[in-house]
Amino acid sequence: MGLALAKEGSRLHRRRQVIGWVLFALVVVVIPFLIADTYSATIFGNRYTVGLGNLSQAIAFMVAILGLNIATGYSGQLSLGHSFFVGSGAYLTAVLVNDFHWSYLSTLVVVVPGLFLFGVLFGLPALRIQGLYLGLLTFVMATVFPSIIRLEELADRTGGSNGLLIGSDLVAPSWAPTETVAEWLHSIPGLGARVPDGFTSRQSEAVYKYFLLVIVAAVCFWLVRNILVGRVGRALIAIRDNQLGAVANGINLAAYKTLSFGLSAAVGGVAGTMLAMHSGFVGPDEFGFNLAILLIVGSIVGGVATLHGAVAGGLVIQFVPHWSGQTQTLPGTDIALQGPYGGVILGVLLIAIVFALPSGAANGFRQLKARFMPVVPQAPARSVIVSPDA
Amino acid sequence: MNFTAMGFKSNQAVADTQNTQDTQDVDLLQCDSEYLKVCGLRAAYGDVGVLHGIDFSVAKGQIAVILGANGAGKTTTLRALTGMVSTEGSIRLAGEELVGEPTAEIVRRGVAHVPQGRGTFGDMSVEENLLVGAFVRNDKQVRSDIAYWYQTFPVLGERRNQPAGSLSGGEQQMLAIARALMLRPSLLLLDEPSLGLAPMVTRFLFEQLKASNAIAGTTMLVVEQNAGLALSVASWAYVLEAGEMVLAGPACELAVNDKVRRAYLGY
Amino acid sequence: MLFCRLATTLGTFDISLDKLSDGELWLAQFFRGLSDGATYASLALALVMIYKSTGFINFAQGSLALLGVYLVYVFSVEQGLPIAVAVVCAMVASALVAMFIERTFIRPFPPNNVLPLVIVTLGLLLIIDSAVGIVWQFRTRSLPSMFSDSAPIQWGIARLTWRTIGNLGAVFVVVGLLYVLMARTKIGLAFRAVSSNLESAQLMGIRVGSTLGFGWALAAAIGTLSGALVVPDLLLEPSVMLRVLIFSLAAAALGGLDSMVGAVLGGLVVGLTRNLLVTFLDLSELALATAVAVILVVLLARPTGFLGTVRRERV
Ligand SMILES: Nc1ncnc2c1ncn2[C@@H]1O[C@H](COP(=O)(O)OP(=O)(O)OP(=O)(O)O)[C@@H](O)[C@H]1O
Ligand SMILES: [Mg+2]
Repeated sequence: MGLALAKEGSRLHRRRQVIGWVLFALVVVVIPFLIADTYSATIFGNRYTVGLGNLSQAIAFMVAILGLNIATGYSGQLSLGHSFFVGSGAYLTAVLVNDFHWSYLSTLVVVVPGLFLFGVLFGLPALRIQGLYLGLLTFVMATVFPSIIRLEELADRTGGSNGLLIGSDLVAPSWAPTETVAEWLHSIPGLGARVPDGFTSRQSEAVYKYFLLVIVAAVCFWLVRNILVGRVGRALIAIRDNQLGAVANGINLAAYKTLSFGLSAAVGGVAGTMLAMHSGFVGPDEFGFNLAILLIVGSIVGGVATLHGAVAGGLVIQFVPHWSGQTQTLPGTDIALQGPYGGVILGVLLIAIVFALPSGAANGFRQLKARFMPVVPQAPARSVIVSPDA
Repeated sequence: MNFTAMGFKSNQAVADTQNTQDTQDVDLLQCDSEYLKVCGLRAAYGDVGVLHGIDFSVAKGQIAVILGANGAGKTTTLRALTGMVSTEGSIRLAGEELVGEPTAEIVRRGVAHVPQGRGTFGDMSVEENLLVGAFVRNDKQVRSDIAYWYQTFPVLGERRNQPAGSLSGGEQQMLAIARALMLRPSLLLLDEPSLGLAPMVTRFLFEQLKASNAIAGTTMLVVEQNAGLALSVASWAYVLEAGEMVLAGPACELAVNDKVRRAYLGY
Repeated sequence: MLFCRLATTLGTFDISLDKLSDGELWLAQFFRGLSDGATYASLALALVMIYKSTGFINFAQGSLALLGVYLVYVFSVEQGLPIAVAVVCAMVASALVAMFIERTFIRPFPPNNVLPLVIVTLGLLLIIDSAVGIVWQFRTRSLPSMFSDSAPIQWGIARLTWRTIGNLGAVFVVVGLLYVLMARTKIGLAFRAVSSNLESAQLMGIRVGSTLGFGWALAAAIGTLSGALVVPDLLLEPSVMLRVLIFSLAAAALGGLDSMVGAVLGGLVVGLTRNLLVTFLDLSELALATAVAVILVVLLARPTGFLGTVRRERV
């Protein structure tokens, strides 16, 4: 089986790309309406749920991983302490919203440049400390974040160990067409049965939040993509692949490396803001060691040097722990699972993913796609192919 | 040069077969004396095929040479022989199949491989490098073999306690060859042994190899860019082009072949 | 943050002056620092062993040690074996587990591509830590120590206890044995060859898989020992080794990731700075932050730690 061969850049190929994107956009738009009531399914006697909140959190994770991929995947600097940036962004937003009564989105005006600067500062030692040494340093830093938040001196702003409940709700503006779209979807036969015909205020708030996060994430991905396909991206990849060679070719190593850390931190900060928006709460332990590990895992599972890998990674690190926590009995039996079986299942899944797809989930997806929708790569227009006998 | 110190058994019978082989043609090569026999060998890096089904063989005690342009697949051929690249086809050493065996097991059957780019253990001393070379041996003559190589390549003896990484490129090449011979291999694979060596040293090295071959009966397969020297030492030669064997024959005949002369000997 | 705390501490001059001029306190903290440092050093040694031979950090090293410590608990408290015997049994058992893990989860991957391997070790970390939580629950327990807390040498509040002496002694014995193993035995030679150049080692007929398996076993045994040294000072619960792991990672980076002596040095420095800074600058909840500060300063001065080798890059 498989579709007809399409030449890269040909009409057919372009059409398929457009169809793909439209389908993706449709899914993104329709899903919140389908799962505004938590969707649940029972598989092998275990009840699994997909809530809109989970999805929103996954979107925030995607952006966090995107940021990590800039420093680690693209410029090859092992940064294992990305949770530090995410946490800083989240706390910055929480404090601005709580104590200064800003709106969530407007905090980005401070979070983005603030974290960018912070990242640049952080990138300075990274000019000298490299590889696994940098990795370990950043990893240990990640574990420090909670203890800084807990400091007495900061406790009246950060809430110390108790965390900080953000006293502001995201209320959908009156012009949001949530109801209209819901009614319209409801009228579609089949699919419509899943869409509730009236939303509670909690549900419409969740839907509104979801779309807000989707838009922020889309803007982040779009901006990062534009930065990375151009000059900057090429320079970063050159640095990653061959540092000395890049320098020999006139790339300003110091500038690009610190820039990549700045970008990475800024995007991480946005992810923090998104997490604060999503849950309305920030706590010190949410941004510690565990988040650091999860983000690395998500990045590697998705494929470190890809943008869509961040999407896959975000979904994995959100839903795998979520669902493994919901696995109450061993599938197919009624042996009860008690205790932290979630961790075991997450670990097993991780290892299974690496066994099945050593180069990351996103790459695996691409290989599958290549099998069913083959594309013939085209040589760049002006290249001359020299035949050996010429 | 005291070869008995190495404890190599000289094998007159083997030397005899080799001498008669020189004059035989390809068909007659398909006889029992073939020590290494390769049939339909394919090798690939990922999806990129490099060898497209090559056949060749080396008789016991013979020195064979593979010539070919850069990128022809010579290194890949040698890597296939020691299981370091994904391979299809058949490689038989003394009748036993090697394809699918892990590298270490192939080496334990007496195949030593001096890779292109030497591969010395840079942070270990010269002496330790030689000791690792004899890793699979359990006899008592390891020390005397090391002494022999110090005598042959005095510079190695002088620097026996220095890290191998501090030797010059040519000195490391000598070390790599001595290390491979520490295995007392029955088949020695050499990938461009003359790389980075001064012409004098290269000639000396080839004399050494020839002597090892004559006295210990070590079968050798050599990849070499210095075609003139290689053809003068070898008894049989192959020409590899773009992953296919295009020529095979006695070294002395290939040395006067017009095509070989123009492409590899440069006159 | 550190600076602001530093300022406040120096502001309340009387306390710090009092403390700073207290020789006994210095000595007491010095001993404690050495004792803690020795335990960090032994786990760091395990990390360095794996890094040297494979080029990656085994994030599951702390988890293997955790498993080992629970085995010590089972052998000593539940089975009633003398503690020293229990530790040796647990070291052997954890070495076997590590060999099994290396064989099933690590060996299938090509050894020169470290990224999948790192994620496998992260997966193992999750699996082992949760499995320990499932089997032994989250109740805290106390573990007996191999060394008594009595002090043969006492000077005011400064007590040089048998435990401090024992911890330090154990680490030096381990380093000595490792040195002999690496320099004088055939398996040590194989291990160093594999660490130095994997492909060449194969070409010498060295079975890389079993050599690395040996490295894993050895590292796990050393990790278990470090757990048995450190846990009696803390309480046994499923996240206890995670904290130790972080200080040990710091120690390994500090000493140089590929240097065993460096690991010991790094461990002692981390232990000492931690205890001295925390006591004299009153930074108790910033213990980790001080570790970060120390590594940052040292790595800025020497990017590969005290004794790590610089791997030169070529164009
Ligand atoms: N590790 C590798 N990955 C992918 N392709 C490779 C790899 N090594 C070699 N090749 C390709 O295989 C082909 C044959 O390479 P090989 O090294 O065998 O050539 P060679 O004949 O030894 O050349 P030279 O004389 O330059 O050493 C080349 O086209 C090369 O690009
Ligand atoms: Mg070659």
